[in-house]
This record gives sequence, C-alpha cells and structure tokens, in this order.
Amino acid sequence: MRRRRWPLLSLLAFGYAFLYVPILLLIVYSFNESRLVTVWSGFSIKWYRELLHNQQLLEAAWLSVRIAAVNATLAVVLGTLAANALVRHGRFRGRNAFELLLTAPLVMPDVIIGLSMLLLFVAMQHGLGWPDGRGFTTIAIAHITFSTAYVAVVVRTRLAQMDASLEEAAMDLGARPLTVYLRITLPLIAPALLSGWLLAFTLSLDDLVIASFVSGPGSTTLPMVVYSSVRMGVSPQINALATLIVAVVTLAVIIAGVTSLHGPRAARRRR
Amino acid sequence: MSERNSSMPIALDRRNLDTWQDPKATPYVRIERVSKRFGEHHAVEDLSLDIFKGEFFSLLGSSGCGKSTLLRMLAGLEYPTTGRIYIDGVDVTDVPPYSRPVNMMFQSYALFPHMTVAQNIEFGLKQERLGRGERAERVDEMLELLRIAELRRRKPEQLSGGQRQRVALARSLAKHPKLLLLDEPLGALDKRLRENTQFELVNLQERLGITFITVTHDQEEAMTMSTRIAVMDAGQIMQVDTPTAIYEYPSCRFVAEFIGSINQFEGKVVESDGDQLLIETRLGRPMRVRNFHPLALGTPVTVAVRPEKMRLCLDYREDGVNQLRGVVEDIAYLGDVSIYRLRVEGQRVEMTLTNTQPRTEQVLTWDQEVAIEWSPTSAVVLTE
Repeated sequence: MRRRRWPLLSLLAFGYAFLYVPILLLIVYSFNESRLVTVWSGFSIKWYRELLHNQQLLEAAWLSVRIAAVNATLAVVLGTLAANALVRHGRFRGRNAFELLLTAPLVMPDVIIGLSMLLLFVAMQHGLGWPDGRGFTTIAIAHITFSTAYVAVVVRTRLAQMDASLEEAAMDLGARPLTVYLRITLPLIAPALLSGWLLAFTLSLDDLVIASFVSGPGSTTLPMVVYSSVRMGVSPQINALATLIVAVVTLAVIIAGVTSLHGPRAARRRR
Repeated sequence: MSERNSSMPIALDRRNLDTWQDPKATPYVRIERVSKRFGEHHAVEDLSLDIFKGEFFSLLGSSGCGKSTLLRMLAGLEYPTTGRIYIDGVDVTDVPPYSRPVNMMFQSYALFPHMTVAQNIEFGLKQERLGRGERAERVDEMLELLRIAELRRRKPEQLSGGQRQRVALARSLAKHPKLLLLDEPLGALDKRLRENTQFELVNLQERLGITFITVTHDQEEAMTMSTRIAVMDAGQIMQVDTPTAIYEYPSCRFVAEFIGSINQFEGKVVESDGDQLLIETRLGRPMRVRNFHPLALGTPVTVAVRPEKMRLCLDYREDGVNQLRGVVEDIAYLGDVSIYRLRVEGQRVEMTLTNTQPRTEQVLTWDQEVAIEWSPTSAVVLTE
C-alpha cells in the first residue's frame, strides 16, 4: 500500500514554521526602511549603518561577548573536571550528593540564582572587600555557576560512552595518567568540549535575569539593553543586531557540525 | 629479526618446551595466594599459579569465573586484595600498569580511534622515548610481521574485524614485551578466521619466544593453542595441565564436564588390583578402569568415558566388563561424525562414531538395540 505523505509533510512544515517563522520575520524586518517595526515600506540597510554608530549597543554587545567567552572557557574546565569525577572515579563517598548538587542549577529558577548571587557578592564585598562593586567579574562568576552544570552533563555523556579500555590500553603501553588524559581522553571527548563551550557561550549571551541582578553601573549586557529599549519602543536597530547574532550563531552551529563530521561516524559513512 | 626471514620450518612440537616439568626451572610468572574482592563479590579466591618462560598458557572458564580479573591483575589494571604477583622474579604486585614489562591485547582491541594504524603501533614506543628513526623501524617491523603494511595509514574504523585484531596484536608486540596478555584474542572473529588465526598466533608466539597468557571461554581454542591450560571456576583453579591431560585425565567432574562431553557412571570400588580398579556401578554392570592411584575399597567414584572412546560391541555378554546395551534414542549427524544418544537402563549415554560410510549406508538407526564397549584405559575414575 502506498502511504500518503502529505499529512506527515504538512506536520513537519508546521513544526518548522512554528520554530523559524518568527526569526525569519525578524531578519526580513531588519531590512525594512520604515521606522515603524511592523510596517514594511521598502528595502534598506540603513539600520545596520545606524547600528554601527550606536555606541551604547556596541559596547553592550562587546561586553556580552567577552563575558560569554570567559564564562564558556571556565565552565568547560570546571564542567569537564566534574564529569571526570563522576564517570571515572567510581562510587566515591558523597557521589550522589555531588551529582545532585552539580546538576541542581539546571532546574533552579534564574531569579533565585540571580538573587542569591547578588546577596553573596554584597556580603563578600562587605566581608572581604572583593569583588569591588559589580560588573564584568560578578556577571561572569554568576554565569559560570550555572553553565558548569550544563557542560558537565554534555561532557559526562560523552565520557561515559567512551570505551574505558582505551585509557587502560594507553596505560598498558606505558603512558602515565597525565599523558593518557592529554593524548587519549581529551582528543576523544573534544567534540563534547566544543559543544559544551558553544552551549555555555550561548547561555551566557542571552541571559537577562541573572545578569540584571548582579550587574552594576556601566556594565550593561546586550540582553539588558535590548530589553530596556524594547520597553521604550523597538528600534529597527535591534532587528539588525538580532539578525547579526543569528548569523553568528548559525555560523557556530555549522562549524560544530562540520567538526563532528570528521568524527568516527562520518568516516564510516564516507567508506 | 633474522630468524623471521629464514625459511627454517617452525617447530610445532612442543615436547622440549615442557619447562613446567623441570623441578629446577624458576617460574617466569608467579601468582602467590592472590585474592581479589569487589565489595562482597570474590572474583579470585586464594589462587596460586606458576607460569614458565615460553609458555602459551590459557586461562579457561565460563564468564564470571575470575579469569579476566586474574589477567587484569597481571597487567596491573586491578590490584589484588591479598597475595603477591611476581614477574621474572620481581614483585610487581603494586607496580602500576605503565611500569610493568607486560603488554596486553584487549578483547575489544581498544585501538585509539583518532590515530592511524601506524600511530597506534607507535604509541607505546613514544612512551618509551625511543628516537624517531628507531620508532619508524619498529613500526615497519610490526607491520611486516603481521602483514598489514598496506593498512598503515588507515584509521581503526576503516578496518575489518580481522584487520583490527592484527593491528591490536602489532601494537601490543611493538614494545617487545617478554610477556603478552591476551583477553579473548579471537573472541570477536568469525569461526573460519578464528581457526586460521589460532595457528598463526601459535606460530608467532613460538617464533618470538614470548610468553603468552590468554583468557578464553572457548575450550577448542584453548586446546589448539596452549602448552598448558588452567580450568577456572568461581575464582579458583580446578586443574592445570596440558590440553591432552585436561581432556584425557580430568581431575574432577567439573573439568570433565567443562571440556567436551563425557558419560558418567556412579559406583564404588569393589576391587583394586595393581593398576586396575573394578567398580560396581548403579547400572549393575562392573567396570574396569586403569588407575594409578590406589583407592580404598568402597570409595564412591564416578567412571567417566568420553563419547568417542565408545565402540560397537560385537561379543556382548550379560556379565561383560565395560559393556552396555541400550536403545538408540537420538542421532545427530555432523558430517564427519555422528553422535548417538542411547538409553541404557534409564541413563542416557552418548557415543560418537566416525562416519566411515555414507549416511544412507549406516547400520544404526532409531530405536535400534545396540551393544557398546570401551577399554579400561579409555576411562577415568573421578573421586570429586
């Protein structure tokens, strides 16, 4: 019997539309000539040009990117260490508690993380004199605390899938534990480290709630600027900026995809 | 490696390798009262074993008998709970794997997926800090030894199972270990490849003069390749001996049943005369067995006879010794031989006969009454 394909295909089309029409709309309107965001009056790239001269927006974007990069890098280091402890060190004392506490930030509401972080930073400033005020450092620390949990989950899955006898074989061939880690384990979990990094980067880049709690004067991140400007009426510049961000993210996803294409599975397919 | 290039025939006769029978020989590997516990589970229990230089030694047992744990303790991947392990006279019990003069071939082969075949083989040499030239030479030597030179630039996922096995072997041999541990070395190969590889592995071992210790659950594999076999059960060694002795003279019922199939008749000793025992069995028939260890009269024993030691009896007598009469219940035709299942007074007896005639010409058929016999030297007496 020939299966009719259109019901399934239309479901698929609906799904895609649901996910991507808003973004598509945003991209289209970023080339809108009109000052009114929702009225199309003609093609123009003038909002992009204006964006380049919007010092406040550019500074916020640059700050966000810097925070995201620092956050992603440190979260990958910490998350990988945590994943190693969970996967490779058997049933150590307090393992269940460690696992629970590590992944708790995944389900913790942002408001609570933000508020508790703010309280901590204020208390620390009084008690230790550090951090001196709030800004880049405090936002980065707050982001690292929850990004680490995400990275740990991603890296842990990959580590658990990795054949432990590979590490044993390397040791059997004379490699000391550090060499085993650098030459065997790291290269094999590298794709997970990359996706963990990208995930942490993205999480940090679009965080509004936590950053609002722990930021200080002069350290306004991009989502904060966008959010406050939307309240005063959306400027088409935001559309242009959002389109640029979508372009960057798409590029990152493509890069991640191409990298994983060079993994073992792809090689098997090529053969 | 001039021996390798010479066309000298490879000696397959293992008689001059019987180092374990030389009382003056010092064992190359000595396992001394080793136990290994994982929590409550006793994987290996107070086990002692000596293995000599040049042996092809097999640890044979079903899964979970502790053979793999024992091998991993030799490699240093597990540490014994109690007991000591000596390799070449040195106590290595607490030596980490990367400092042991031992290499291991893993059951999964554990080839590094991000390295080519040549890089895999070179890995161990790099850890030894050999120079570039020497490393290249050694890699070439290994590629040639296992005839895989054309695979050198391939990645593991581009190899077939048999090729991976060779690369794994090459990698574990590259450091010229004196002792090679092999965990189910042929387990992942299909049957035909396995048979060829068995002989190849034995040739390689004899040519290189390396001591091999392998773990296997395949009795046929252990029989073909080993100088000696240790049959293991529940973390202990049931018997250590040559393949022939293990098969022909099992020391206990477990070994007898584990290797091949065997008919068992329970009874007790009624007469002990020189090297022969007369045993009264439950079947009511006397059986005569050659036995070199005197046994007290009345000792409960099991007479064990392999199916292929049985033959058709042409002069059956009601009081005949080592003779039985039964009815053919089942016939399994295997091509070269047929297995006949007979029912003898309520007990099932298995007999294997070579098919010297085509099947259609065979005389034995279902429900046929048949008399069988065996000679006293073909049976063994088991007390445990």
